[in-house]
Amino acid sequence: MSEAHSISPRTARLIGRVSAIILLLLALAYGLGGSVIEYAFASDPLGPRVFPIALAVVLGGLGILYFLSPGTAEGFPHGALLARVLAIPALLAISVLLFEPLGFAVSIFTLTLGTALIFGAPPVKALIGAVGHAVLWWFVFGYVLEVYLPAGTVFGG
Amino acid sequence: MSFDYLWQGFAVALTWQNLLIGFIGCFIGTLVGALPAIGPINGIALLMPIAYSMGLPAESTMILLAAVYCGAEYGGRISSILLNVPGDAGAVMTAMDGYPMAKQGRAGEALALSGISSFVGGLIGTIGLALFAPVLSGLAIGFGPAEYFVLMIFAFATLGSMVGSQPVKTLIGCVLGLMLATVGLDATSGAYRFTFAEPELGDGIEFVVLVIGLFSISEAMIILEHQGKGVTVIRELGRMTARWADLVRSTGATIRGSLIGFVIGVLPGTGASVSSAVSYTTEKRISDSEGTFGKGDVRGLASPEAANNATACGCFVPMLTLGVPGSGTTAVMLGALMLYNIQPGPMLLTERPEVVGGLVASLFVGNFILLALNLPLVNIFARVLTVPNWLLVPGILVLSVIGVYSTNASVFSIFLMLGIGFVGWLLRKAGFDMAPIILGFVLGRVMEVNLRNALAISGGDISILFGSTISIVLWIMAAGVAFLPLFLSRRAKRRMRAMTVADPALD
Repeated sequence: MSEAHSISPRTARLIGRVSAIILLLLALAYGLGGSVIEYAFASDPLGPRVFPIALAVVLGGLGILYFLSPGTAEGFPHGALLARVLAIPALLAISVLLFEPLGFAVSIFTLTLGTALIFGAPPVKALIGAVGHAVLWWFVFGYVLEVYLPAGTVFGG
Repeated sequence: MSFDYLWQGFAVALTWQNLLIGFIGCFIGTLVGALPAIGPINGIALLMPIAYSMGLPAESTMILLAAVYCGAEYGGRISSILLNVPGDAGAVMTAMDGYPMAKQGRAGEALALSGISSFVGGLIGTIGLALFAPVLSGLAIGFGPAEYFVLMIFAFATLGSMVGSQPVKTLIGCVLGLMLATVGLDATSGAYRFTFAEPELGDGIEFVVLVIGLFSISEAMIILEHQGKGVTVIRELGRMTARWADLVRSTGATIRGSLIGFVIGVLPGTGASVSSAVSYTTEKRISDSEGTFGKGDVRGLASPEAANNATACGCFVPMLTLGVPGSGTTAVMLGALMLYNIQPGPMLLTERPEVVGGLVASLFVGNFILLALNLPLVNIFARVLTVPNWLLVPGILVLSVIGVYSTNASVFSIFLMLGIGFVGWLLRKAGFDMAPIILGFVLGRVMEVNLRNALAISGGDISILFGSTISIVLWIMAAGVAFLPLFLSRRAKRRMRAMTVADPALD
């Protein structure tokens, strides 16, 4: 949780400037979006548009300050590590797609097995861990706490 | 001023069900605190939807979450002392003197002593909370919409000036949170804002989705990046009790730390990472005449540990009385109250005394449970530090998915969580904290509604925002807080920044 990578001030500045530009574009889009909100009636003097527009202005101002003094940044990982880090959301997306059709157990098994492998677990241990996770969480949430979980539409759930 | 709410609260907190829930919360909290991978916000974010969908009543959910929060402040010291890696942001300073003590073979003593400091800090903080909550709540009854709006301005000013080393980024985070809060149906005009014609966004972005996305998903990615830094657990614990001489020596530090911690906790938005840093630097200035701080001085260990626990309790003061969270974690708990359709604010104490009283009473009870858990059983928690990430992180992800799915059974929400988590990761890489976003989101609707109500009362005349003594005082306080850093000497400022190293988002 402390600073992980020490990156050069130049990279930090670049990351800061790019982020600032993205935030300025966001402020612009959000402000324009806010100024065209349609409403039939307004029961107060401000209406639904003013607050978003004001936020866009404030974000714009802060974005300019940020651009001028970008400060420090943590920086992005490189190469293989970056690929592994990005594999987490990708894997999560796949598991979520499986969630309703194939059910909780299959989806959780995929997610936990994949994550364990991404984190560098030995395959056999990862497999045992994934079976354990699937059984444990199904038991805890499905039986003990009775939270609704999909059984999987292909299994008639 | 009456303490009836507190007696009523003890009646709630001392039922068997709530005692059990409190015990479970303390246990989970200590675990969550001890594991460097998850902090109190993650723990609470993951538990909140589960407690809600289990059908727990509001007061039991608050007792559970408060126990986790306080437990995490206890647990954070374990990995600070044994690993030199803070278990949560409030425990960063604990490592300064705790780890050197452990290296000298006095790990057990350090754990026992810091457990006792945590207890004293928690107790002083809870007493402060019990005393201050009715007072502040009484004052706040005089607040109208205009005063509320200015109060939010004050909260953001405090946040920008005290949290993190980069005020611009903190404030940008707040604004992003406010912007996210505008998504969905605008109740006053019936307009849909920023929903992109997506029906699932009609009610706005769900709090659970945002919190879990920002904290758990992005955290899983960060844990992978930080993995394999080669830390070793100190296994030689030595003597497991604190020495009487050390306790006497650190009494002053513990009490000073508790008081500093409580006051900083009461300030809106500033949590344990700030208070433990301030109390450590203050204690060093007062007591470090022989230059022993940083080399295993018991006072340097006691002070921040007392402070972070007192802060956790102090943070509840503004949350329960004003509806303004005292820290990132209490912001999440405020969101939990909103899940139950409970509107926090000065009326909370009179309308739902069982929730406020139950929470305060449970903190008293919880502190004793935590002391009992943390002195004799510290060995068990220390062993948890050896659980590998490849077993732990999949569990976090599973809980994230279940947590979001259990509140509304929607796959769209899980994807939204994933998207938010990815953006959160990008923001963290660029040096942003996540806590200000949560604070902005929680305060967003209240802020806008109060601004619009105030202007509706005045017929559009903005002078109403400066129209009462309370609001003028709040404006002055906001300006004072905003310019405070400029008055601090450059040297003190630089030292503070060097101390507040770690991620303040996680308290």
